[in-house]
Amino acid sequence: MMKKNNSLLLSIPYILWMLIFTLIPLGVVAYYALTDPDTGAFTLQNIQDLGMFLPTLGISTGYALISAFICLLLGYPVAYYIAHRSPVMQKILYMLVMLPMCMSFLLRTLAWVGLLESNGIINSLLSALHLKPVTMIGTPAAVILGMVYNYLPYMILPLYAVIVKIDHRLIEAAEDLGCSSSQVFSRVILPLSMPGILSGITMVFVPAVSTFYISQKLGGTETLLIGDVIERLFKSAGNPNLGASLSLVLMLLVFICTGVMNRFGSDEEGGVVV
Amino acid sequence: MSKELIRLQNLTMEFDGERILDGINLYINDHEFLTLLGPSGCGKTTTLRIIGGFLTPTSGEVLFDGQRTNDVPPYKRQVNTIFQRYALFPHLDVYDNIAFGLRVAKLSKAEIQERVTEMLAIVGLKGYEHRRIDNLSGGQQQRVAIARALVNRPKVLLLDEPLAALDLRLRKDMQNELKRIQQAMGITFVYVTHDQEEALSMSDTVVVMDKGRIQQIGKPEDIYNEPKNAFVADFIGESNILDGVMLEDYKVKFFGRVFNCLDAGFAPNEPVDVVIRPEDIDFVPPEEGHLVGTVTSVTFKGLNYDIIVDFRGFKWLIQTTDYQSVGAKVGIRLNPEDIHVMKKSEYSGMFGDYSSYSAEYDELTEDADDEEE
Amino acid sequence: MKKANKLITVLIFIFLYIPMAVLIIGSFNEGKSLSSFEGFTLRQYAELFRDKDLLALLGNSLLISILATAIATAFGTFAAVGIYNLKPKMRKAVMSLTNIPMTNPDIVTGISLSLLFVFIGTGMLGNKQSLNFWTLLIAHITFSLPYVLLNVMPKLQQMNPALKDAAMDLGCTPLHSFFKVTIHEIMPGIVSGAIMAFTMSLDDFVISYFVTGSDFVTLPVKIYSFTKKPIHPKVYAMFTLLFALIFVLMVTMNLLQLRSDKKKTQSRTKPESRAMRTFKRVGAIACVVILLAGTVFLFAVTRQNKITLNVMNWGQNIADGSDGTLDIIEAFEDKYPHIQVNYSEYASNEELYSKLSNGGLVVDVIIPSDYMIARMINENMLLPLDFDNIPNYKNVLETYKNQAYDPENKYSVPYTWGTVGIIYNSKYVSEEDVTGWDLLWNEKYAKKILMFDNSRDAFGIAAYKLGIDVNTTDKAELQKCADALAKQQPLVQQYVMDQVYEKMIEGNAWIAPYYAGDAMMMMDENPDLRFYLPENQNFNLFIDAMCIPTCSQEKEAAELFIDFMCNPEVSGANMDYICYGSPIDGATEYMEEYLAESEIIYPPVETLERGSSYAFLPEEITRYVENLFMKVRLPAEPSPPSEDSPDILPTVVITLCAAAVFGTFLYAKAKRKKKS
Repeated sequence: MMKKNNSLLLSIPYILWMLIFTLIPLGVVAYYALTDPDTGAFTLQNIQDLGMFLPTLGISTGYALISAFICLLLGYPVAYYIAHRSPVMQKILYMLVMLPMCMSFLLRTLAWVGLLESNGIINSLLSALHLKPVTMIGTPAAVILGMVYNYLPYMILPLYAVIVKIDHRLIEAAEDLGCSSSQVFSRVILPLSMPGILSGITMVFVPAVSTFYISQKLGGTETLLIGDVIERLFKSAGNPNLGASLSLVLMLLVFICTGVMNRFGSDEEGGVVV
Repeated sequence: MSKELIRLQNLTMEFDGERILDGINLYINDHEFLTLLGPSGCGKTTTLRIIGGFLTPTSGEVLFDGQRTNDVPPYKRQVNTIFQRYALFPHLDVYDNIAFGLRVAKLSKAEIQERVTEMLAIVGLKGYEHRRIDNLSGGQQQRVAIARALVNRPKVLLLDEPLAALDLRLRKDMQNELKRIQQAMGITFVYVTHDQEEALSMSDTVVVMDKGRIQQIGKPEDIYNEPKNAFVADFIGESNILDGVMLEDYKVKFFGRVFNCLDAGFAPNEPVDVVIRPEDIDFVPPEEGHLVGTVTSVTFKGLNYDIIVDFRGFKWLIQTTDYQSVGAKVGIRLNPEDIHVMKKSEYSGMFGDYSSYSAEYDELTEDADDEEE
Repeated sequence: MKKANKLITVLIFIFLYIPMAVLIIGSFNEGKSLSSFEGFTLRQYAELFRDKDLLALLGNSLLISILATAIATAFGTFAAVGIYNLKPKMRKAVMSLTNIPMTNPDIVTGISLSLLFVFIGTGMLGNKQSLNFWTLLIAHITFSLPYVLLNVMPKLQQMNPALKDAAMDLGCTPLHSFFKVTIHEIMPGIVSGAIMAFTMSLDDFVISYFVTGSDFVTLPVKIYSFTKKPIHPKVYAMFTLLFALIFVLMVTMNLLQLRSDKKKTQSRTKPESRAMRTFKRVGAIACVVILLAGTVFLFAVTRQNKITLNVMNWGQNIADGSDGTLDIIEAFEDKYPHIQVNYSEYASNEELYSKLSNGGLVVDVIIPSDYMIARMINENMLLPLDFDNIPNYKNVLETYKNQAYDPENKYSVPYTWGTVGIIYNSKYVSEEDVTGWDLLWNEKYAKKILMFDNSRDAFGIAAYKLGIDVNTTDKAELQKCADALAKQQPLVQQYVMDQVYEKMIEGNAWIAPYYAGDAMMMMDENPDLRFYLPENQNFNLFIDAMCIPTCSQEKEAAELFIDFMCNPEVSGANMDYICYGSPIDGATEYMEEYLAESEIIYPPVETLERGSSYAFLPEEITRYVENLFMKVRLPAEPSPPSEDSPDILPTVVITLCAAAVFGTFLYAKAKRKKKS
């Protein structure tokens, strides 16, 4: 009745906005993907040409998965530790995790370039200690390091949000029922933090698989990622149509991956809450 | 009583094809304390919300002072509500909560001050003006909710299970308090509860509801003494309900024996439900009894014993101060005034057998009721 | 267990904050590099506040984020209330719509929006400048909205629905009850949603990068284009100040919250709480108003009511007033006070071409190279010039007129000319290896070699090395070039354009092909660098010329600018900075002597004879080459780590992780044993 009308009235502008600025643009991307760059005629050429990017797609996915996994390994103990501090301490630590996210990600990545360069800070330190300098920049590891560094907070925050909500009595109950501390972890805490793990992995995976800045700055010739290719196609190779079809593929990849994740977890939006 | 204030005519309410209310007809008088009583899901809260204007009935009429008010939004009705768990505004302190409605009505500051202060005195919360809501006890929150509603001087106050969240002692105090306030202010109360004792002790009129229908309307004594069907008999107090046959006026036959009773107006040999309240039964030596049975369980209840007696396979609950040991043979006598005869209804055979009686029975059902609504 | 966790946490925090520390230290550095600290100074901060452009960029970023946040927060909050009351099925559909921009990679969102804006704005509405401030704002609102919604929704769900009924019961209309009750209940969600939207918007680079037009640029997008030279440390100074600001803000917010939490636990609030509350509310509103007014002011000060002339040039390709040179833009604006120059950069001809052909932006003057000019003329992307407005054209030397790319001199006026050679670091590269283009294929210097990241220059070098005509359209010959480049790929550290500066100056790479003028600039910074043109092989000789693209909206002002650049004095002063050859007669008289006589800038005639220029290739061949180059760039298969530089980092990282996890478990086990 009246209430229903009002709620529809309130939501319709939003629905329209989201349709116009998220769904229709994807349609435009599809339109570009299916047209010829010169003539504008319908073509499947752009789809056929995608074949050569398959290895790149594989490499990008691999990098992103490795980064997500490392983020999980590093982020879990941190989230767990934060969640078990006093409320005041939790606030402080949470803020400290948030803080880097608020600062320019470009500059922070450039700082890593300064650290990892062949004549960078780390190598200067090494040579001051009379150690052999190490090649770091341009390696796959440097790219993964950049991803882990940039997206680690995206892992810690949802993990923390989930772990902090785990009722302490459940742990006591598990101990009461004879679980050792590692069993408590594997049988109670880990399953209960699964939503956080899944949303953390998604939140690291998605930006990592599509990044181009990190690989441009920290990577070398063999770390060309799918994001780099798309950026190139749009920004310098002058072939936005091929770029459009490749971004559709990237989108599909991400939606499939997140879809699989959500299938595993019952509960989706573990979204970060400040 | 005085004149009629609210009338509900043929109210039906459906949600997603499910019928919540099914032909409710009810009138409420001015200054009346009327209680809607029933188990959870019976439609009592829905009825209340329709009166409050939060829901619009699917069909039927809501008349207020003879005016149709189906589509009048809640903020235009001279009705205020005390919500389940009070719904106090957590961002406001006690004073601001009570003043809320007056401020919305744009009363002058001085008048607001005067009325709020007066109200605080009535509910006994003087000095609590600037407390935060979450620092109040349940009883205090309850008083704020009452004050917040009454300060607007509504014609009708709707109360939706207002005491459900309080512990037993506080509940008893608040029952008296509410009754006192109602009488002092002379306002119509429409009260929703699933607690039969609360309903009986406070109300002028009790409306027993189940499955979206009104089962019985009446004064508390009438409802208790003359339940209309097995549902009412069982829901209000404890009852042993037996199959019987009305041979003629004042003669009812059950357990193969004819008893005298006070009921009349049934067809000859009409099958009926016979209600015998557990507290109306007295033990006599077996040889003097109308019926003889065996005691199967005894539970001490403080005021009395709950004794289950097996009469030819049918188990009766008897509440008495006389102790009997398990296994003892006992006899009972039934006086005509102890026997209530009811017409058969859809509820026949569903209640009144204590074969599965256990001491926790009451608590369990009560808890289940609390969960819902 | 706890101790291990603590250790890991401490290490992770160090890890998270090391780069920040590097940047903060960098802001106090006397030198320009992040890698070496040359002494403490506060000069960078002084320079920051003198740099109007940088502050304007910051103002732009703040303006767009504040507007986007304010709009998205209000819009999103109302939408959330509406959606919350929708039927469950409908609500689910809307929420999955909301999740699209959340899960979609930023790059796809950015691309899709930019295509949409150009498609509708330019394609359907005929607005040349369809990528502008408003579209950027729309983009920011679009990706901010879900954050607001996803923060407000749970608060609505947590809210006791009876509260709203209670308000209505007490006389509030639904709208009234929203403002009196609901909004207070969901306020924490609104605030956290707004904070997230703001930080996301302020730091957004990827989406803005694709959606930005020429008229309005945000700070991150600009920082991305600062790739030549190591970034000026004043940027680090800005970072440090922002860091301090956000840090203080966060701390105060947390402190305030702690205080109010404490108050909650106190039994009674003080009588003055009402006044305090009003005070706080007024204070908050005042803060927002001041912030908004400040940005609008900053915005207004930096762009007055003038003709905006959009000039798009190569990176570091105009004298900017640093190191005692003439600030040409400033000089131009002084001479023509009604014109304000909006200057932006590109790194390669191909990038410029893409920007223009993707559409959506307005540019008035561009300075592409010869072959690209021909391509643009061929595709009708340039406007014929009105030479009546360019009287100084008479100063252009005849040698640079009537070139093949613009045979009738209708579209272009030469800006510079120069050569492409090899820059190498004499500290690491032995002279005997410097034997022509083969140096770029020398395995001795594997991973110290940089290569052009544009197809034309890369294929050109391969062609010169193989002795193939650079302007060949024979696909077999082009394939040979591609093969040569593919062979080179494993030796290349990175394919770069302007990043060559930072890499070569810092000595992180040793060999790179690049343009002569830029080479001079690099040599200025690092005396070990040498520039070399192969003796027995050909090399590219190019002319960059000023043109007006068809999207221009200020053609006359553009011609004024071109004319200004043909003034010998201006051209000479410009060459002093950019170190290229001037095509303007008499310009050398205004140049510093050592530059005017430099053989790198003005090679001897016999050397110049080996130079050849790139000609226009048919569209099909251009695309073919582009495709071949893309294949060269794609890593064929993950190459095994080379033996002389063991790939230590992955091993380190993985070992560390494994050690951390195992350590945790071992520690836990040991502790358990002790207990039992």
